[in-house]
Amino acid sequence: MDYHYPAGTVRDLLKSDAVTDATRQALTERLDQQPRQPAFFTTDEFKLLTCITDRLLPQDNPAGRIDIAGTIDERLTSNKSDGWRYDSMPTDQNAYRLGLKATNESAVALYGAPFGELPTEQQDEVLNAVQAGTPPGATWQQVPATRFFEELFAEAVNAYYSHPLGQEEIGYVGMADVPTWQRLKLNELEPREPRPID
Amino acid sequence: MSNQFSLTDTVDAVVIGTGAGGAPLMARLAAAGLKVVALEAGKYWDPKKDFPTDERAQDKLFWNDERLSAGKDPVAFGSNNSGTGVGGSTLHYTAYTPRVQPDDLQLKTDFGVGVDWPVSFDEIATYYDEIEHFIGVSGPANYPWGPARKRSYPLPPLPINGAGQLMERGCEAVGIKTSLAANAALSAGRYQEGVGHRPACANRGFCQAGCNIGAKSSMDVTYIPLALSKGAELRTECYVTQLIRDSSGRISEVVYVQNDQEKRQKCKYVFLCAGAIETPRLLLLNQLANSSGQVGRNFMAHTGLQIWGEFDEDIRPYKGIPGAIISEDTHRPAGANFAGGYLLQSIGVMPVTYLQQMARQRGLWGESFKQAARAYNHVAGINILGDCLPYDHNYLELSDEKDSRGLPKPRVHFTNGENEIRMTAHADKIMREIWDAAGAKNVWDFQRNAHIIGTCRMGHDRETNVINADGQSFDVPNLFISDNSTFPSALAVNPALTIMALSLRTADQFLKNRNRLDV
Repeated sequence: MDYHYPAGTVRDLLKSDAVTDATRQALTERLDQQPRQPAFFTTDEFKLLTCITDRLLPQDNPAGRIDIAGTIDERLTSNKSDGWRYDSMPTDQNAYRLGLKATNESAVALYGAPFGELPTEQQDEVLNAVQAGTPPGATWQQVPATRFFEELFAEAVNAYYSHPLGQEEIGYVGMADVPTWQRLKLNELEPREPRPID
Repeated sequence: MSNQFSLTDTVDAVVIGTGAGGAPLMARLAAAGLKVVALEAGKYWDPKKDFPTDERAQDKLFWNDERLSAGKDPVAFGSNNSGTGVGGSTLHYTAYTPRVQPDDLQLKTDFGVGVDWPVSFDEIATYYDEIEHFIGVSGPANYPWGPARKRSYPLPPLPINGAGQLMERGCEAVGIKTSLAANAALSAGRYQEGVGHRPACANRGFCQAGCNIGAKSSMDVTYIPLALSKGAELRTECYVTQLIRDSSGRISEVVYVQNDQEKRQKCKYVFLCAGAIETPRLLLLNQLANSSGQVGRNFMAHTGLQIWGEFDEDIRPYKGIPGAIISEDTHRPAGANFAGGYLLQSIGVMPVTYLQQMARQRGLWGESFKQAARAYNHVAGINILGDCLPYDHNYLELSDEKDSRGLPKPRVHFTNGENEIRMTAHADKIMREIWDAAGAKNVWDFQRNAHIIGTCRMGHDRETNVINADGQSFDVPNLFISDNSTFPSALAVNPALTIMALSLRTADQFLKNRNRLDV
């Protein structure tokens, strides 16, 4: 099944008293965030990262873009950790720098041009090779490709689905918890829970 | 009410860490009239104001100092394990509180592997009873596994979420018995000593990212306020760096950093309750209590395979307590080719947690991932929690890499052994059968190990253990350890209730023997 949910659900709930003030503040700030100019990444790195994350999580929402690359840049600028990293990986900052460089190397080796200049089909083949751990390029010796893909994609997913627009896409309204949830039986929804549309 | 002691006072006890290992004994020692100071690395949150229903904002509950995960099955930390803040990891535990079964404590006797516990089930069960009634555990009137209870749970079970209803359906079809689970969250409002009124669970499904109404029985709304009402002092945002010994070998001062200032608290006894990573890390940094060479050894993590599926039914996995249904039919499965066993639990899930797991292991990306993400409202999971044996190859060490405080980051080696691999394969088959019978489609598995256990093992023999059965260090007579690091084996249940039970027992044994210890 391919489900689709109506737009605007989370944004409407944020204006209601179904969310706490703390929730409203956290989500509204994220919703209103302006696109970030990179502080950790160079302009070229940032463009490449944006290009990659646009393939990993394509965006076509007319309500706006979710700034995945900017969210990653912000974390790396302050060198914030999520509590652990694979011992086989370099530090988060180095992993991103090396992984981006290596992705471009693979693009050149496979298709003769930097990642950003390739048609999307070839970009996807490069990413498939990174995910599978088989991309060409010397820099991958310094950063394991499969782990790089995993870490990058997990962080991108976190940024995307933490955003109210990403949450509207999947029909999530769990933040609207002030009235409590009383209808827990399968197929039983509260009025504020969106139904899928055709 | 809560006291304020001076750094030059020689307090009776300094408790390091305020999670399930530290908070109960803090209350017990204070109630006995001791001068108790607890040092907590994190903040004392006001959940109503500080806890938005937003996973990303709630990252602050996790221990986010970087740990290096090595081995063939690197263990995830951060959201998966330790916590920070008053209450420790109970701030983000699922609040599943099953009791161990007696045979969990004697793997060596029954299977010839691992080690037996130096504490009896009956003794632990007495504390279970006390804790369940004090913190407020909701559970079934008749639980089908394990010894009969002395008293029923103080509160009836919480309502069953979608995943639980599906697990009941699937298990019934394949002939596996289920029960409503015991959860440390209130199914009805009640009065809590030291706190006042605590409301009933709002079915908010956000246990793993912090309860914002105090319905979940985390330490910050149970044993901590009790301890403060009995006169203990709580100091927050205090990071302990050193344990200073006097000429007799006893710890005389605890050194910690608060607001970038180094402070020293004189004390008679130290209770180290910082969890199975920070506790051995602090001991290794101080080269303390390690004549056995066992500090950091015997690291264990439960087998925790999750099976996810999509259902035609509308589930909304964010509603209701995540862990509603349990089965212990697999506690000692007939004909199994492994030692020990596991339990089965239904799991609801918050969206970012679920989708990040999917990003790591399902293999989808691009539009196919986004389509699978849009099925979130139709997703339900089932998982195991199984025993894990101690191995020489699983341990914690200090790495050469320094953290922001200039201290070595811990490196944790973990590789599942043959026993865990066989148990996981057994569970994979059963859970897929259950989910197939329940009507799941697009089933996928998430490989994981959860809960960090071991590293400062308790036992009778000082050659092979760090502490004795009373929690006391063999090497430093006024040092006690109380947290998941002391478990001799991993147990086939969620650890929090047993950590609390050992915490109270450690306090009671200490109080009983104190006159002798003071010599």
